[in-house]
Amino acid sequence: MTFQGLIIQLLSGISTGMVIFLIAVGLSLVFGTLQVLNLAHASLYMLGAYLCFWISATLSEVTGAFWWALLLAPLGVAIFGGLVEVLLLRRIYDREHLDQYLLTFALILIIGDLCKLAWGVDFNMVPTPWPLNGPVIWGDIIFPRYNLFLILCGPVVFVGLWALIQYTRLGKIIRAMTYNREMANALGTNVPLVYTVVFMLGCWLAGLGGALVSPMSSVMPGMDMVVLIECFIIVVIGGLGSLPGAFLGSLIFGLVNAFGILVAPRLAIAFAFILMIIVLIVRPWGLMGKPE
Amino acid sequence: MMEPELNRSHTIKTIGGLVAVLVGFLILPLFLPLGWLSLVNEMIILALAACGLNLMLGYAGMVSFGPAGLYAVGAYTTALFLYYTEIPFGLALIAGPVSAAIASVIIGWFCVRLTHVYFALLTLAFAQIIHTIVFEWYGFTKGDDGIVDIRVPAFLESITNYYYFSLIIVCICLALMWRIVNSPFGKTLQALRENPERTEFIGINVRLYQLSAFVLSGFFLGAAGSLFCGFNKNVFPNYAHWMKSTEMLVVCLLGGVYNFLGPVVGSIVYILLDKVITSFTQYWPLVLGLVVLALLLFLKGGIAGFISEKVSAGRASWGKGERNV
Repeated sequence: MTFQGLIIQLLSGISTGMVIFLIAVGLSLVFGTLQVLNLAHASLYMLGAYLCFWISATLSEVTGAFWWALLLAPLGVAIFGGLVEVLLLRRIYDREHLDQYLLTFALILIIGDLCKLAWGVDFNMVPTPWPLNGPVIWGDIIFPRYNLFLILCGPVVFVGLWALIQYTRLGKIIRAMTYNREMANALGTNVPLVYTVVFMLGCWLAGLGGALVSPMSSVMPGMDMVVLIECFIIVVIGGLGSLPGAFLGSLIFGLVNAFGILVAPRLAIAFAFILMIIVLIVRPWGLMGKPE
Repeated sequence: MMEPELNRSHTIKTIGGLVAVLVGFLILPLFLPLGWLSLVNEMIILALAACGLNLMLGYAGMVSFGPAGLYAVGAYTTALFLYYTEIPFGLALIAGPVSAAIASVIIGWFCVRLTHVYFALLTLAFAQIIHTIVFEWYGFTKGDDGIVDIRVPAFLESITNYYYFSLIIVCICLALMWRIVNSPFGKTLQALRENPERTEFIGINVRLYQLSAFVLSGFFLGAAGSLFCGFNKNVFPNYAHWMKSTEMLVVCLLGGVYNFLGPVVGSIVYILLDKVITSFTQYWPLVLGLVVLALLLFLKGGIAGFISEKVSAGRASWGKGERNV
């Protein structure tokens, strides 16, 4: 392969990884704090993409419609998530794993069909927003400007989240609850409130991922399932509940995918699965996670 | 404690009930139209798959996300043998569960090393790999097109005959499973579900027992897959899709996982719901999702759990007067 080809493949791998990082990190954060594996996380991502499409189409007369959509769509998803947590999820925290899986699975079906009801089953396109349309040309390397923007988004969110967890009061509580839930509870933390806030934050991240993806892939039913499986792979590789783990896992996933496609185009996802299985056997708690 | 007298009459009643249900299933073809009969056929095959899954899920407490993978291994083995070779139908049908059991040994060997959420995710990953292989290996499995027009013996061509054939096989499999869950092995699995640490302390090899449960479960899932392949006369990659896995999980939950016949009840209700609702609306997943939510929030223990709770509550109050709670 030529040097240019290598660079382009590398960049596209990283940009895939960074988008999926936004989604996976929400899943991981929610699992780390609430101990619930939210199977419907990717459905919230789809909801974000649909909202972004809908808002930017509605506001198409306004300049910078996409940017308004990018601001509003994740907020909408977060509010929806807050309702789900308060009305449904809260009732089953003390139940078995199976019940939690099934509840969040039911949400996949419900959200999927609600999106179909609201927006139909057609492919929807969101135009790449100004000023990010068009390519960046750097010698022989031509790369879409929007994807470079995505590469930037990943680290920004990563640093933002890290600062939130490291330096704020909420972050301290999240760390305390991830470390020892009973003790945090006994020390007077308002656990239900923190759960709601963390779940909404996770949903906001999923919605942001969906909104950011909408200009580079079509918004359509079924887009959630592919991403859900990819998120699983990432959080297992990185370690469920670990922020740096989700980042590392996303990078690895993006690169394995980008270069796997070159080796065997149709089996790229299988490489990622094999990687996940190896990690699960050698280090079940993930590369950056803590053993149980 | 239940008195022996009561216990014996209870057993007699249960057996009587089962015989009545069986007779009911036997005479169904006399008055059901063929369309409905094939629906019942689908029901009993799904019931077999769900009971197989429940060996692992309800009895051993191992939540698998990937039962459809093993179901598909069974179905595809039978289909591929019938497509590429000339071996008799019966042999191909037996090859299905056997190869699913072999696949379970390999997959289970990895999976039982993990617990809870990691176990669930690894089973999902293996099922997805099976799906990917079936989907992408076009030259061998015909990929997306599936294998169609599978040959079955002439006497199984008719829907009624195939119905009797599946009924016999499903009954044999259920009887085997009933023996298994009531054997010392089955009791050990339940102990394991309740408390793995303590079970290990009394000298039980936890992983070996879990692996055995996984393989047995895989065997019956494969049997259901093979049976369905013969019934439908075709196989498609979506047999291994994780929607299929969840369908089985929902069926178990709907009926109740802590009841031997729970999955059977679940599959009857599930298929009826599917049939009725899809005739009204295309938004079947939405309704299914709402049904699952309602079950989780208001009907813990599923339908069979609910009924047996009512029955035993009724019996207790009938036998001994009101019990203090």
